[in-house]
Parts: sequence; structure tokens; C-alpha cells
Amino acid sequence: MNAVVFEGEPVALADGESVLDALLRQGHSIPNGCRAGVCQSCLLGAEDDVHIGAAQTGLSDAQKQLNYFLSCQCVPAEVINVRRVDTAGSRVEGVVVEKRQLNEQVWLLRLRADFDYLPGQYVTLWRDDSLARSYSLASLPSADGVIECHIRHYPGGQFSSWVANEAQAGDRVGVQGPLGKCVYSGDSERPLLLAAIGTGLAPIWGILRTALAQQHRGAINVVVGAKAPSDFYLHNELQLIAAMQPNVAVHLVCQDELAGTESFAVQQADIYQYCKQQFADMKGYGVYLCGAQTFVSKLRKQCFLAGANMADINADIFIPFGGP
Amino acid sequence: MSVYEKIGGDAAVNAAVDIFYRKVLADDRISDFFDTVDMDAQHAKQKAFLTMAFGGPNSYTGKDMREAHKNMKLTDVHFGAVAENLVATLQELEVPQESIDEIVAICLSVKDDVLNV
Repeated sequence: MNAVVFEGEPVALADGESVLDALLRQGHSIPNGCRAGVCQSCLLGAEDDVHIGAAQTGLSDAQKQLNYFLSCQCVPAEVINVRRVDTAGSRVEGVVVEKRQLNEQVWLLRLRADFDYLPGQYVTLWRDDSLARSYSLASLPSADGVIECHIRHYPGGQFSSWVANEAQAGDRVGVQGPLGKCVYSGDSERPLLLAAIGTGLAPIWGILRTALAQQHRGAINVVVGAKAPSDFYLHNELQLIAAMQPNVAVHLVCQDELAGTESFAVQQADIYQYCKQQFADMKGYGVYLCGAQTFVSKLRKQCFLAGANMADINADIFIPFGGP
Repeated sequence: MSVYEKIGGDAAVNAAVDIFYRKVLADDRISDFFDTVDMDAQHAKQKAFLTMAFGGPNSYTGKDMREAHKNMKLTDVHFGAVAENLVATLQELEVPQESIDEIVAICLSVKDDVLNV
């Protein structure tokens, strides 16, 4: 019978069961968040590196050397010895400074938290030791140490409901990270495509302003997709930037038919067709794609086939919470 | 000197991989085998394939080749399509014909394992 030995205590592993699921089932309290290999809240340490390679995606070299692994992604073929690791040390304390609504579903959460990051990276926010979720950073590093996340409120979502209904200035939140590599490359001459749907706009908003702050000279195309016109947010700010910066073009693309009463410039189109037409030759482009998996996958392939190099296509994929 | 070294080693693989993978994805005969959500993993596999095809350092055995392509019901058409795209890639990069011939020979040496015959 296969098992995971957790700090000396054997726990049976059902067929195909992850280490995390087995330990939770046994009643052990293991912090966890996305259960999809993204948030790194379920880190454990293994005795050796034999069965954990597949569960180390996204970890740092140092974490790998310590045989840390993501327990939600680890389905070992043989008995494996594991232990708790101190992840609290990798968290800093954040304090809620402000929250406000950006549109009907999306909230802006501003936290004071002292750590270094690059715009476009993401953090895992801890409400308490059992509730953690990952969010991309929309802010630029600033002297006041305030970070910003765009949080979509899912009815029934534990963390986002806390943000929408309860969070107030002064509340404390653990901040782990930063994680992710979807950051501005610094190559200031090349044309850019920055494309987002939903709160994928958060990292794009950070990357765009970083490019501008670093005096990016190539064309910057920002494409934001939404289902209905009311799903857009920050569109006035985006269009203001486009009006002031000659090399920035903003495309707001809406899937649903327009009522004709929209107070801002928006086009009705399929976002994939729209990008195909607008960006037929993407040779030399730097590409940043942020949002749901299907959106990123589809557009990544399209950009690659249109001539963009794989290495120049950066993606921040939003993985839905994988737990029950 | 191996053909891998002659055409520039890892740098040659890096130059070829995007061109080759793009051609393969655009080829209706075989694109379904390569079209995946995880483009990064597929891209890495193409790199490994090219390194092998160029005679570079790799640890593939005939058994690996067989195992990896099992149950895919591959035919001469599929094998030929990959070979054609590979040759077109090398021509685009202006690799000398003599080296292209050597690379094709390496590919042919694993054909039976790939097709599981």
C-alpha cells in the first residue's frame, strides 16, 4: 500500500490522491490555497528529491535544493517521507489601507506591505492560516509600500467575499511572494501587445505603467476583452493614457452586442478574431497575456503562429481555486 | 565533428525551434498531435527532438522513442510531414545541404521506433 509518512506518522494514500488531500483527510492542518500548483501555500519538505520533481514547478532553486514541494501537486509513486516547513518566514504582514469597488464585480484592495517585487508578479494573500488566495499585483513599487490587487468577487468565494463584505482599513493580511515571471523585459524598442480579460488587467496595468516609466519607445497596444460593456474598469484611465502617449493604443473589445449608449469607445468583436486582424504580423513583438487559462492559451498560440517568439510571449494565467 | 557541432550546437537548436514548431502547428496533417494547452512543455519537447535530430547530446533510446509514440497510430504520412517541416526549417536557416542530409539520416534511423513497427 502506498503511503505518505508525515513527520513519522504513516498516512495511507488512495490511488491518484495527492499528499495534501491525504493529510487533510487524516485531519492534519496543512495550509492550502489554490490546490492548483500556483499559490505555494501548501509547501512541504521531503526527505529526498526522488518523488517530488513534478511538484516543484515554479519553485526557486533554493526551495528545490531544500526538497520543498507543492503537496497539492504531488502524487508519489512510492512511500515518501515529508515534514512541515516554515513558510511563515516567507510572509510579511500586510495592513489594509483601502478597498473600493472598480465595477460591479471587481474590488480594489490596497495593502501596506513591505517587500520588493516587479509589476506583473503575483502574491499569495493569507486571511488566516487556512485561507490563502493568489492575486496579481496591479501597483508599481513605491516609497509608501502600498500594493494594489484587483479582486473579483465570486459569490461563495471565501476570500473574495471577505474582501467585498467585511474587509476594512486596519485589517491584517499575510503576504507571501512575490511569484511569477510575467514582467516587463526592458527592451524598449520592440512593439508590445498587452492583452487581458477580467482582472488580468491588474498585471497588465502594472506592466503598462512600468513600460511607460522606463520610456518604452516601441508601439504599445493594450487590448482588454470583456463580455459586457459594464465589465470594463480602469477604461477611462487607459484611454487617458492613450490620448497623452502617442505610442499607446487602447482597444476595448466587447463580446456582447453594444447598446449604443456606452460612454466610452468600445468595439464589439470576438477578441481572437480582433487580434488576428489587428496583429497579423507579430515578428519581434513582446507579448503579455493575462487572464483565464483558455484565453491565454488560445491567444498565445495565435501570437506564436503570427510570428512572435515563444520566449517573448509572457503569460500570467489565472487558475481557479481547485479545492472543494 | 558531429553535425550538431558543425551547425552551431545549442544556439542552432534555439534558432530552429520556434520556426520548426510554428510550421508543425500550421500543418494540418500533424498539428493535432502538437496542439496543446501546455505550449511550454511542447516547446521543450521540440527542443529535445531537434537536439536529438542534430546529433547533439541526448539520452533517448529506441525504447524511449517507441514508448513515447505508442498508441498514436502514426503513419508514413505523419513521419514525412515532420521530416518535411524539419528540412524546410533548416533551409530557411541556410543550413548547408550536406548537414541537412546528415540530420535526415539521423531521423530515418529512429523511424521504425517512432512508427512502432
